[in-house]
Amino acid sequence: MVDKPHLDEEALAELQDVMEDEFEMLIRTYLNDSQERIISLKGAMMDGDSGAFAKTAHSFKGSSINIGAPRLGELCREAEEAGKSDSLNEAPAVLEAIKSEFQRVTNALNALMARGAG
Amino acid sequence: MDEPAAKSGPLNILIADDSDSDRLILKTLLRRLGHHVLDAANGHEAVALFGSGKPDIVLLDALMPAMDGMEAAREIKRLAGERLVPLIFITSLSEAEDLARCLEAGGDGFLSKPYNRVMIEAKINAFNRMRLMHQALSDQRDLMHERNRQLLEEQHVARRVFDNVAHTGCLDAPNIRYHASPLSVFSGDVLFASPRPAGGMLVFTGDFTGHGLPAAIGAMPVAEIFYGMASKGFDGSDILREINQKLVRILPKDMFCCGAMVEADFGQNQLKVWNGGLPDGWLVRSRTERFSVPSRYLPLGILNADQFNAEMETIRALPGDRLLLMTDGVLECSNEEGQLFGEKGVRLAFENVASGRHPFDTLLNGIQRFTGRQKFGDDLTLCCLEMVDQVGLTALPDGAAPSTLAGPAEWRCVYEIRDRTLGEFSPLPLLLHICMEVPGLRRKSGEIYTLLSELYNNALEHGVLELPSEWKYTPEGFGRYYSERATRLGRVNGHYIKFSFHHEPMQWGGRLGVVCEDSGQGFDFHNHPVLQSTEMEQSGPRYAGRGLVLLKRLAESIRFHEQGSRVEIVYDWYF
Amino acid sequence: MPIQTRRSHDGQTLIIKIEGRFDFSTHQAFRDAYEHGGKDIRGYVVDLSEATYLDSSALGMLLLLRDYGGGDNAIIAIENCNNDVRKILTISNFEQLFTIR
Repeated sequence: MVDKPHLDEEALAELQDVMEDEFEMLIRTYLNDSQERIISLKGAMMDGDSGAFAKTAHSFKGSSINIGAPRLGELCREAEEAGKSDSLNEAPAVLEAIKSEFQRVTNALNALMARGAG
Repeated sequence: MDEPAAKSGPLNILIADDSDSDRLILKTLLRRLGHHVLDAANGHEAVALFGSGKPDIVLLDALMPAMDGMEAAREIKRLAGERLVPLIFITSLSEAEDLARCLEAGGDGFLSKPYNRVMIEAKINAFNRMRLMHQALSDQRDLMHERNRQLLEEQHVARRVFDNVAHTGCLDAPNIRYHASPLSVFSGDVLFASPRPAGGMLVFTGDFTGHGLPAAIGAMPVAEIFYGMASKGFDGSDILREINQKLVRILPKDMFCCGAMVEADFGQNQLKVWNGGLPDGWLVRSRTERFSVPSRYLPLGILNADQFNAEMETIRALPGDRLLLMTDGVLECSNEEGQLFGEKGVRLAFENVASGRHPFDTLLNGIQRFTGRQKFGDDLTLCCLEMVDQVGLTALPDGAAPSTLAGPAEWRCVYEIRDRTLGEFSPLPLLLHICMEVPGLRRKSGEIYTLLSELYNNALEHGVLELPSEWKYTPEGFGRYYSERATRLGRVNGHYIKFSFHHEPMQWGGRLGVVCEDSGQGFDFHNHPVLQSTEMEQSGPRYAGRGLVLLKRLAESIRFHEQGSRVEIVYDWYF
Repeated sequence: MPIQTRRSHDGQTLIIKIEGRFDFSTHQAFRDAYEHGGKDIRGYVVDLSEATYLDSSALGMLLLLRDYGGGDNAIIAIENCNNDVRKILTISNFEQLFTIR
């Protein structure tokens, strides 16, 4: 399986076009929400609540795909699968992967904005 | 409705998604397309916003916390009711089972993430077109419902007016039985009955072509003509001619009225009938003796006045004889197998009649048994007239609506008709009309008409035509009388009948003098048994005898001159 | 087709044939038949050999045809009626207006 890119340049470009002045606000909203979701995922995993884990992963997946972070989206899909199949033993690994990928995405998006998108 | 949806103006769109960033993206996207956006973060908010915002289209995330997309969808669809508000699920679900659940919850379509601007625009437009079409259909349906309701209401009102016209007159007289269609149906059938001023009755049964309002509309003028002329003493033929002429004038070429006119003369024990287009009428004398009165003429409203033949057939009929008239609704009654009652059914019904049974009941029962239903004959009209003994002089109620006009108090008038006019024209309605100008005489129209009628018929048949009245009282003589009458009327030459009127007011009311003179030979009034006798003894029914009895009873005085070819009567009326 | 038209051999008579029920639903077609029957028509024949039923609106249509064809001067024959149809024409005494054979 070919790894998905960290950022989908094309999708981001279109988003910029649609959002215009609000692009930066969108990115910040995403980044904030995503941090909260990661905390949520951790909590659900600790509680052994696979239902909540799957739901949050699903939500995170969707917004990541929309924002143009395909690899992060794919990782979230894996997390969602784990939650759905009640295999939370796989959760810690995928959660780590999500965290680190998220860091990459955060950096990339910040760099994009610094380049003068907002 | 043919405009592209994009051009039909901005829509109100409700979106619900728990992801702030996604929601923001979608909201901006839609706004850039020109629409107004309401956004909710969860199911509850979505439902609330739907209620207050009344959006045109809803975009719902399938999986949301606190009342998820499915439940919100169900609730929203319920709130929408009959309105079609397209509901599109936003989902990254891909399992067929999940998608099916979305549809079951009321979803009309799907949108997937990542958001694709072109896809979203296309879907919005497509669903909007659907929404508009549905709206148009609903509006049209509502309009049709309303129009239909109005039409039905109008028909109901028209039906009530029609009923005041169509089944009226003296249909409730003891010697008439009838069945007419019930309130719910405009069948185009009419049934009129009126007593005549000098006694006797006129009955008209009619069946206008078509159904519904057009068929019923012809009834109004026909009713007016019938009742107006009947009360003035016109006979059946005169009324038929008037009706025909009226209908020719007012009805379109393809509309006409099948009808039958019956003139019953109880005093002379005869019926005159005319049948143009209705099924056979039946005269039932007894259980075994009956004969038909078939249609011999074209229906009313087809022929011009100069081609129309209003000649009525004269039939001898004694008290107890019954004449049945029906419209073709009777023949067209059908049973469950689709067979028609027809003439055969009528004949069979009569053949099975138990003795003493009324033919009207017999026929109705026959129809009921044949059709097997209680509620048959929505479209049939059946009328039965029974011959009775002459009852009283004035069948019309004495109080005809008084005119507010004052009238002449003192006046004279001479009216003479000669030769061929004698046979073709009855002056009686006109002469009655002249007398009715006197307010005090108006409530006496029956008596006055009787007087004039007796004088005229006496003058015509015995004076001018010299027909012996005895002829009328044997079966052979009957036919002979009427054919002789027709022949002699054709040969009238140099004859006349002259009426002279004089009216003067009196202290106690008024006095009308009427002189009737004819060109005939007269009769021996000096030795007339009735005029001489003080008792009402009559040996056998003698027209002249009975006529003179009436005159004696009604008038203040009678005097005969010139061998009886000149009769002078005085009629007094009191305040 | 419930209504068919054709001309006679000499071209002067329009023959209108009606199949099935001759009632209100045939109104427009019947009217079209004689109104667009062509020029130089001297007379009309209404062929009812395959007509199963006739009601009062059909009688009305015949009257309209008669009016169109010249009223009292119209030459119209009604042919090949079955018993039921014949009966209806007889009760209405339409033989006083049309030749019925």
